[in-house]
Amino acid sequence: MPISADPIVQTSALPASALSVRNLSAGYAGRMIVDGIDLDVAAGEVVTIIGQNGAGKSTLLRAIAHLLRQRTGAIRLRGADVTALPTEALLQRGLAFIPQGRSIFPRLTVAENLRMGGFLLRDAALLRARIDAQLDAFPALAALRETPAANLSGGQQRQLEIARTMVMDPAVLMLDEPSIGLAPLIVGQVFSTLRGLAAAGKAVLMVEQNVRRALEASDRGIVLELGRAKLQDHASALLGDERVARLYMGG
Amino acid sequence: MAFPAMAFPAMAVIAQAVNGIMMGAVYALFAVGMVLVFGVMRVLNFAHGAVFMAGGYLCWFAMAHVSPIYPVALLFSTAGGAAIGLVLERLVFRRLRENLSMQIVASLGLILMAQNGVLLLFGADALQIEAPSLRRVLRLGELGFTVQHLVILAAVAVAVASLHVFLSRSRLGIAMRAASQDIQAARVVGIAPDRVFAITFALSGALAALGGALLGPLFLVFPGMGDLPLLKGLTAIVLGGMGSVWGAVLGGLAIGLLEAEATLFAPTDYRDLVVFAALIATLLLRPRGLFGTAIRGEP
Ligand SMILES: Nc1ncnc2c1ncn2[C@@H]1O[C@H](COP(=O)(O)OP(=O)(O)OP(=O)(O)O)[C@@H](O)[C@H]1O
Ligand SMILES: [Mg+2]
Repeated sequence: MPISADPIVQTSALPASALSVRNLSAGYAGRMIVDGIDLDVAAGEVVTIIGQNGAGKSTLLRAIAHLLRQRTGAIRLRGADVTALPTEALLQRGLAFIPQGRSIFPRLTVAENLRMGGFLLRDAALLRARIDAQLDAFPALAALRETPAANLSGGQQRQLEIARTMVMDPAVLMLDEPSIGLAPLIVGQVFSTLRGLAAAGKAVLMVEQNVRRALEASDRGIVLELGRAKLQDHASALLGDERVARLYMGG
Repeated sequence: MAFPAMAFPAMAVIAQAVNGIMMGAVYALFAVGMVLVFGVMRVLNFAHGAVFMAGGYLCWFAMAHVSPIYPVALLFSTAGGAAIGLVLERLVFRRLRENLSMQIVASLGLILMAQNGVLLLFGADALQIEAPSLRRVLRLGELGFTVQHLVILAAVAVAVASLHVFLSRSRLGIAMRAASQDIQAARVVGIAPDRVFAITFALSGALAALGGALLGPLFLVFPGMGDLPLLKGLTAIVLGGMGSVWGAVLGGLAIGLLEAEATLFAPTDYRDLVVFAALIATLLLRPRGLFGTAIRGEP
């Protein structure tokens, strides 16, 4: 049964909106998957997108990161229109993306992976300081500096992805299924890392299949159905919604 | 005088080793350039031999018309090879990344164009690079080899060592390795794939042309001079374990040594047979090649 409800949360560009997406449509080779999405993520906020397999969640994030060519709509980053900018320019302006699946460089060491996180930083001293800050934030990685990333555990690899991304100190962090394949204990650690980043003023937008735990760690949620935002609400409201529970939380 | 009784065979073995390592170094240089492009872009550029040949002609042209100083001609050829690599990547191979059969077709077309272009510009006769000092024979006891043997070994050693430092230490070199491992992840950290591809092809072209410019003074410069290194370079890549730079270097040296030593116990015409027999035997025992690991396509 489709979910129908009016969006409760305002979608007009709030002044505090770090990322604002308007009427975004995107797809592959003539087939549109994402259909007219509006969304906002404010600094300090964690927003989770949920939806069935194939709903277009990954396509939405990839379109925002401009990894897809086939797209229309408008994207603003901290007020500035960045719709036309390529992926690396978006990153330079503070929009970072961790794609679905493993995205570490398996045969580079932890240190080399972090260095590549700062590929766009041309100031060597700043790069070193940023890498050191991440090694402080993730002590487990500091001990594994010279280890090839392929030899890290799943949880450590996820930490490395986040640390590598944070080397750019982005204002907005997008993650596609950060909890996939991780043990329950580690999932909690990843979500609390993301909460910590939000507390530090980052805007976090993630896609999750682990709906209950993701919403518990989020401020707001967006339900994506067939490429459309069927419902946007506070995470607590979605957690209490019986239709959401039935369709996305298996009970 | 050191080995009076065994003087002939021992000296012959050593003399062939010097020849073999020299040719092997050229094969290695050639193979490394092909492996880089394959590792980063999954492109097999069979026109790599044409770039090698172009390096020979560029060296001849530089010596005759730009500067008679050989190191200057080497730099000229290497820079020219990088430029050719950039053009090939931009105009041809960037579009063919996912398409092996079109890569082969395009390579064959490029080889034909290059060889006929050279025929038109320089004629069918082989050209001699005027560098008598490079062909001077040095004597070490009973061993004789040319100055160019030493120049080739030194130049290849410097090129491979520089490449190693570039790939293991520099920002762009690490980015090339990163892109070869996961192109999507490279994009999200801000590495623009097209730039990496351009740099890779430029580097590969530079190495190929350097090889042609190094071999030119010893052999002649002619339209088909890239065929031999193409055949042996490909063999080196497979022997070394498809994909790794060090595998290509060691594979190239091994083939050079083997084919040179083979002339001692088999007729010269049989040396390719010996090389391919060794290749097949190696692959039967070690399907990933001599130095191959589970890692594929890593420069
Ligand atoms: N590269 C592609 N080319 C063509 N179609 C694609 C491509 N990637 C995804 N699709 C299609 O787009 C639709 C949405 O895929 P998408 O990956 O965005 O879904 P998702 O919500 O992330 O699913 P999942 O939960 O399985 O990750 C699917 O029908 C899929 O088949
Ligand atoms: Mg997905």
